[in-house]
Amino acid sequence: MSENRNGIMQEKDMRQVAIKQNIGKGVVKFFLYLFLITMALIVLFPFYWMIISSLKSLEEYRLSVPTFWPRTIMLSNYAEAFKAANLGRLFLNTLYVGVVSTLLSLVITVLSAFAFARLEFKGRETMFGLLLATMMIPGELFTITNYSTITQLGWMNTFTVLIVPFLVSVFYIFLLRQNFMQIPNELYLAAKVDGTSDLKYLWKVMVPLSMPTLISITILKMMGAWNSYIWPRLVANDAAHQMITNGLRNAFTDTTGDVNYPVQMAAVAIVSAPLFLVFVFLRKYIMAGVSRSGIKG
Amino acid sequence: MVDSKQQWKAWIYLAPAILLLLVFTVWPIINTVRMAFLEGYRGLEAVGGQSYSFGFGNFEKVIHYHKFLNCLKTTVLLCVLTVPISTFLALIIAVALNNIKFLQKGLQTIFFLPYVTNSIAIGMVFAAMFNIVGSFYGTENEIIATAGIINNVIEFFGGEPVNWINYGSTYTANIIVMTVYIVWNALPFKILILLGGLQSINKQYYDAAKIDGTPRRRVFTRITVPLLSPMLAYVIITGFISGFKEYSSIVGIFGEGMGPADDPGRLNTIVGFIYDALSTNSQGRASAAALILFGIILVVTLINTQVSKKRVHY
Amino acid sequence: MKKKILSLVLALLIVLSTVALTACGGETAAPQEGSTDAPAEAAAANFVVPEGGYDGSDVTITFYHTMGENLSTVLDEYIVEFNKLYPNIHIDHKNMGGYDDVREQISTEITVGNQPNIAYCYPDHVALYNLAKAVVQLDNLIDSQVEVTRADGSTEILGLTDEQKADFIEGYYNEGKQFGDGLMYTLPMSKSTEVLYYNKTFFDENGLTVPTTWDEMEALCAKIKEIDPESCPLGYDSEANLFITMCEQYNSPYTSATGDHYLFNNDQNKAFVKMFNNWYQQGYLTTQKIYGGYTSGLFTSVDGMRSYMSIGSSAGAVHQRPATDADGNYLFDVGVATIPQVSEDNRKVISQGPSLCIFKDSNEQEVIASWLFAKFLTTNVDFQAEFGMASGYVPVLKSVSANPAYSEFIANADGGKYIAALSAKVCLEQVDDYYTSPAFNGSSAARDQVGGLMVKTLTAKGDDLDAQIDKAFQEAIDECEYAN
Repeated sequence: MSENRNGIMQEKDMRQVAIKQNIGKGVVKFFLYLFLITMALIVLFPFYWMIISSLKSLEEYRLSVPTFWPRTIMLSNYAEAFKAANLGRLFLNTLYVGVVSTLLSLVITVLSAFAFARLEFKGRETMFGLLLATMMIPGELFTITNYSTITQLGWMNTFTVLIVPFLVSVFYIFLLRQNFMQIPNELYLAAKVDGTSDLKYLWKVMVPLSMPTLISITILKMMGAWNSYIWPRLVANDAAHQMITNGLRNAFTDTTGDVNYPVQMAAVAIVSAPLFLVFVFLRKYIMAGVSRSGIKG
Repeated sequence: MVDSKQQWKAWIYLAPAILLLLVFTVWPIINTVRMAFLEGYRGLEAVGGQSYSFGFGNFEKVIHYHKFLNCLKTTVLLCVLTVPISTFLALIIAVALNNIKFLQKGLQTIFFLPYVTNSIAIGMVFAAMFNIVGSFYGTENEIIATAGIINNVIEFFGGEPVNWINYGSTYTANIIVMTVYIVWNALPFKILILLGGLQSINKQYYDAAKIDGTPRRRVFTRITVPLLSPMLAYVIITGFISGFKEYSSIVGIFGEGMGPADDPGRLNTIVGFIYDALSTNSQGRASAAALILFGIILVVTLINTQVSKKRVHY
Repeated sequence: MKKKILSLVLALLIVLSTVALTACGGETAAPQEGSTDAPAEAAAANFVVPEGGYDGSDVTITFYHTMGENLSTVLDEYIVEFNKLYPNIHIDHKNMGGYDDVREQISTEITVGNQPNIAYCYPDHVALYNLAKAVVQLDNLIDSQVEVTRADGSTEILGLTDEQKADFIEGYYNEGKQFGDGLMYTLPMSKSTEVLYYNKTFFDENGLTVPTTWDEMEALCAKIKEIDPESCPLGYDSEANLFITMCEQYNSPYTSATGDHYLFNNDQNKAFVKMFNNWYQQGYLTTQKIYGGYTSGLFTSVDGMRSYMSIGSSAGAVHQRPATDADGNYLFDVGVATIPQVSEDNRKVISQGPSLCIFKDSNEQEVIASWLFAKFLTTNVDFQAEFGMASGYVPVLKSVSANPAYSEFIANADGGKYIAALSAKVCLEQVDDYYTSPAFNGSSAARDQVGGLMVKTLTAKGDDLDAQIDKAFQEAIDECEYAN
């Protein structure tokens, strides 16, 4: 009896609490959305600017007081951008370099991160510290030495030179190691007892569990290929290997050395589109990765 | 023993990375050290047959630059301001995103957009937002064509417009603009990483907290932050490292002059100093400055990792 | 652990540095492909023309430039022409982006001997490349009387004929010799200068005359300010050009390629800076950096703040033209004139735009072939005419004005549709006035510094104006000295 009454009381309390919570939740949700949408608008602004700039005439673009909406919409900028740069070839080159270097880079990163996260070896911490230290020197200083290295290797104007020198990223190793270390050691030890090999464990357990991070790395690496500029220009500036940014940069300088920014912006917008689509597509994978990592751990 | 077996296994796993690093990172670093200790070294002159004596001349030259302390100050100031602000904002946005269902995908995509927005576009937008177009401020002929969107907003709320980046602007105003710009720039990457981390946190923790009726704030400080700490450590440490290498964002706002028109170089940073030296082919001086920067970042990172060792939960 | 890592890192750094230092002795001395093996003294000397000149061998010449699509097309046409004469000389030309990109690329390439054969250059680039003594010294080539047989059976001398030399606009040709040793390193390719754009409609309505001296300019600015108090009568695009041009017009020192490089800290220069400060305080003058936008934007504006004169690059004429109304008429008519002078006896206006330089190569024939091509581009009247019309730059040859297509282009000149022709016409009227500044490694730093100095001093105010100006000059000098 008394147990039952107690139960009813609790139920009543809980209902009241639930109502309060619901109101609270509503308010919280409202502010959550307000905050997110405000931030989203701020974040969107430069993107918007890129698009409207790509639709302006050069004269309008050069006005002292910028206009927020193009007076005349110049879709011809897009046609011109397509014509001026050999976009198809540039796309293919960039895609090739991006995909190959991302795949190789993922393999190297996974292996190294695994060694740093799971394997016990002498000097592990020191090695890792040294690795981190290499990130701290401004890369510009490496350019000249690396340039002379690749010339001696005979890699000028090849895809190799665009892919190999930047396969290892300490950033990614660091990121993935952090992720790997989150996976409980017990899983690893259990797998050991079962006689699962390290590689199999890595492939079957750790990689799926770290999907979101691996996808982040993929995106960053692809972005890198898309945006790389200084190095490709230096080592592979022939038409057969030219990358997208180089092609774009060179196509729109006019006679006075000025850049025809509206047309360049149009080209940039064209080039950004695939990346954007790739992200929309990959976002589902992030979700999938998340749900898969929902297994007990 | 398993131990010795693990030893060589570990090195095999690391072999590809180490090999590439030796060729494309370690060797250039060695070369940098060499150039730093050759007094007045210039790569092009060396090709022309010039030889150099060994010494600390480059380091002295760097330290004796009358604006070197100023470069250091700007670098540190920007770092100390932007890393905490951007990390905190990114964390809040990531948590908020993780807590909603409706519009989540759309918003997530929007927060990623800066990544596919060309950096030229971003720099130009920010410059335009803060830029006052006009002349003769402070004289009786003062004419202002446009005060910039930010000032328009300030005036709308009844405030006094501020000279942010033009000639006659104050150092404080410059630093505020740079902070806003750098934080804005750093957000998408941080949100991406933190959201990735959040989504891999086991839902059971939250379910347990729900059953216990734990208040939101406690869930945030006791569950979310600790479980996210490896990712947080990552964004903070890399944030500091890239913060110390700040350069291109300042060019984005102020141009190659690295400062307002009447005081070029006011916002110069250590990496900016390195670029200046490289532009006259003074690689010796550039290398020395790079090593000094390296030393500074090394110390900061060691402190960072030390702190995170105590705080990060694996 | 922290101590351990730190000490290990430090230990490693020390080891690395000692290894590097012991290794470096051999490293610096190692001869590089592309630079001659001869000692430094001889390397700086003239290129020795081989007997027989060009022997017809098969060579590929790489040429770095900044030409966009429209100019590359013109270049390609004339490469076909060139190959009719020299079928074995293959030209591989690349657009490297902007001038700075060309400089960065080549200065890296020189370190391993990979540099191109010919490049677009500005004088300070050549000074930089010459740290490595990488640029071919042209005097022997120019003077060479060796006969070269062309594919069509005709011959030409390898060097420049007297007519060809005389045909170059003198100021442009002499740019090749400004490196302190009196020797010739570059050939002029296409040039621009500064001109004064003015609102012709406004000038006509108010009966104003175009100023020819700075005194007249000051009086005119005062008058315009009376007519339209909201205006800023004059916009000057480049602060650095203003400073350097005034140095030239006053005949007062700016920089020198030899000895003490930075000479601009003197009373004469402070005096004109103070004059412009006064102009600025009265609202007569603004510049691009002060204004915070293109001064051409100020000039072409028809409402709000506007200017009625604008001094900018002759190659940017189309940017100085206002928008059109609904009927396609320009909102006002633009006039183009030469810039004001201090005195008619010492007329000076800056010469800008790219030249061509040729790089050393272990294969003499490549150098000769590069010379033949560079000579072709700079002395071919048809090419110069067509390139000038396509680019808005001024041709470097006097005889181009006699070219039928070009003279028609000039004849069409007006302040609207054919404004580019109008500005080219004005450039051709002042061919005797061109000056260039000495070039040395660090000359571009001086340019940057005086630009900043100009902004600082224009906008300075207060009772201690002189002290502020003194301080600004001293700081600019210090920065220049440090950069070198």
